[in-house]
Amino acid sequence: MRSSQDPVWRFLLPSFVFVCVFSLYPILDSFRLSFYRMILTLPWLGQKFVGWENYRDLVTDPVALGSLATSMIFVAVTTPIEVLLGLAMALVLNESFRGRGWLRAVVLVPWAVPTVVASQMWRFVFNDRYGLFNYLLFGDATDRYWAPLAEPGLALMSIMVADIWKTSSFAALIILAGLQVIPRELYEAASIDGANAWQKFRHVTLPLVKPALLLALLFRTIDALKVFDLVFVMTQGGPADTTNVLQFYGYKKSFAEGMIGYGSAIAVVVFLISLLLSIVYIRLLGTGLMGKEGRA
Amino acid sequence: MRIGFAIFVALLLATKTAAPAELRFVTWQPDTAWVWEQAIRDFEARQPGVKVVREVGPHSSTEFHDLVTQKLRNRDVEMDVFFMDVIWPAEFAAAGWALPLDPFFPTAERQSFLEAPIQANSYDGRIYGVPVFVDAGMLYYRKDLLQKYDLRPPRTWPDLVRQAKQVLAQERDPYLTGYSAQFKQYEGLVCNMMEFIMSNGATLWNEDTLQSTLNEAKAKEAVRFVRDQIISAISHRGVLAYQEPESLALFTQGRAIFHRNWPYAWAVADDPRQSKVASKVGMLPLPAFHGQKSVATLGGWQLGISRFSRNPELAWRFVEHMTSSEIQKRIALYTGRGPARKALYRDPEILKKNPQFESQYETFVLATPRPRTPVYLPLSNIMQRYFSSAIAIADSDIDRLARSASRDMDRVLDLLRGRSQP
Repeated sequence: MRSSQDPVWRFLLPSFVFVCVFSLYPILDSFRLSFYRMILTLPWLGQKFVGWENYRDLVTDPVALGSLATSMIFVAVTTPIEVLLGLAMALVLNESFRGRGWLRAVVLVPWAVPTVVASQMWRFVFNDRYGLFNYLLFGDATDRYWAPLAEPGLALMSIMVADIWKTSSFAALIILAGLQVIPRELYEAASIDGANAWQKFRHVTLPLVKPALLLALLFRTIDALKVFDLVFVMTQGGPADTTNVLQFYGYKKSFAEGMIGYGSAIAVVVFLISLLLSIVYIRLLGTGLMGKEGRA
Repeated sequence: MRIGFAIFVALLLATKTAAPAELRFVTWQPDTAWVWEQAIRDFEARQPGVKVVREVGPHSSTEFHDLVTQKLRNRDVEMDVFFMDVIWPAEFAAAGWALPLDPFFPTAERQSFLEAPIQANSYDGRIYGVPVFVDAGMLYYRKDLLQKYDLRPPRTWPDLVRQAKQVLAQERDPYLTGYSAQFKQYEGLVCNMMEFIMSNGATLWNEDTLQSTLNEAKAKEAVRFVRDQIISAISHRGVLAYQEPESLALFTQGRAIFHRNWPYAWAVADDPRQSKVASKVGMLPLPAFHGQKSVATLGGWQLGISRFSRNPELAWRFVEHMTSSEIQKRIALYTGRGPARKALYRDPEILKKNPQFESQYETFVLATPRPRTPVYLPLSNIMQRYFSSAIAIADSDIDRLARSASRDMDRVLDLLRGRSQP
């Protein structure tokens, strides 16, 4: 009785209901479905409980393992680059100079463009006949033009480039917010102590911006793990299945092939990997915050 | 309070009576859009009070499939009529998504359509779609280039490769490529590869024993031929990312000697406003391997009605209109798409404008459908993966890839076993 009279509950209730309906329920239902065999195009097979069968299939499915590896490579390459580029951009944008506000807005443009539009643009950039990429590389010598989206060795890299272009500015935004809370006095004190620019960056900026860096890393890792739209628009998983990331494979299974159980199992695995990474990062983030308190 | 209620009731009645019947048609953006728009306007003119709302989806069959099936899975009552690729009716029928059209579309009426697309629209003795136009893979070639080197259009694949090599060697044009077709990892790849495999006397899978046949020597031989003789020898690597539009653009730019495409490509390639090679283009059935028959994959699109449509009667009237002789004739005249109605291939007006239909008719009649099954999509995805891996990597281990693709396909085909109803 007491809890229902507590106003805190009344304020929390709307968001609690929202989270339950739109997050918790779908996640739990995906968990449930992943233990069933359910194939939409074969309704006479019914919805049969199969226990761990989908997961057993998953760990022996070379395509699934291949796409897991592709996803992991994608995450491992794109996130560090995005965070480093984001840091560089944030450092520039944190300085005061003429036109800074304007530049800050411009930097955010790639992130503001809808991913599908950006993917289509990058598909044109990498086109083997009239793409900007080839023009910059070879100019008018069109006979030497490459076909990056047709080469098993280059297609994934092309998608990574598109992703880095698109989301580095998001990392920059988060890191910039972290930079802005660093008190100016610390830099003044460092100057008085005779620290040069590098020493100021290394011993003042970096430790204090670490929580923001980790936050950017966390967001980017989870997003990169779930990359879908770039693959969908640019390559559809090809050539030679080299861009078939896990999320795209799961989508194909659930939505194109109607294999709801197996597709859900893939979705659950993606979810668990993101959850695991989040926990690891949040722990790191926690120590980062504590470290800041200790120094301040 | 009572006034409010009265207004509410009045509004309710007003929306019930005044709103025109709305029919939602999920389609893709056609090449010659005005013909289709005109056909829809004609329908609206003949059915006063009916409004057809077009929802335009992606051009690629694979992506369009995902859009339509998502609506069907969600039992979307908004969608009434949709386009179906020739490979989908079995799936949509088995899943209970497409409305059986037997009461509207009697057997006698089906006789006036080409046999193969009617077959493709039938499942378990019922019919689920009405064909609008048919497609079949065709070989396009540069008449002028072959004449220049005194070559006769190729009848076998090795001939095609030999001729392409000869022309490439003598033209010394770095922009010219030998063969332009659809080798991206998507449904079109299956169509292209099926033509190579079946014109070597092999198949994709055995529909009686429900076993994949891709691991058989003849099938692997054809795949190896594509990798070594087409991709690595006479095409440029870009074809590995091409769907129909890109591969056709290459041909109409005068940068390909041979080109494989559907019949619509003729209208584009022979039109001086869209093509640099107009009047220099020839068209033939696709080549075969020695001692084998040419195989053209049957394509084409049908109209289906959603089982969840609130207004199936009206939806049928729309389907009937869009597949009528009158509309199919217009589509044939202005878009170069092969009509699904047999009689139109003898229509003097159509033949005058599209003389190619006369020679295409046989290809349409003999076109080979992809095997009909409700699990076509999973099988196709396995094949797309296999074909793309086999041809995109110059030293791919085709034996191993074929073995593993066959095994995966057999597992999917196993799902069809022991089904109680036929």
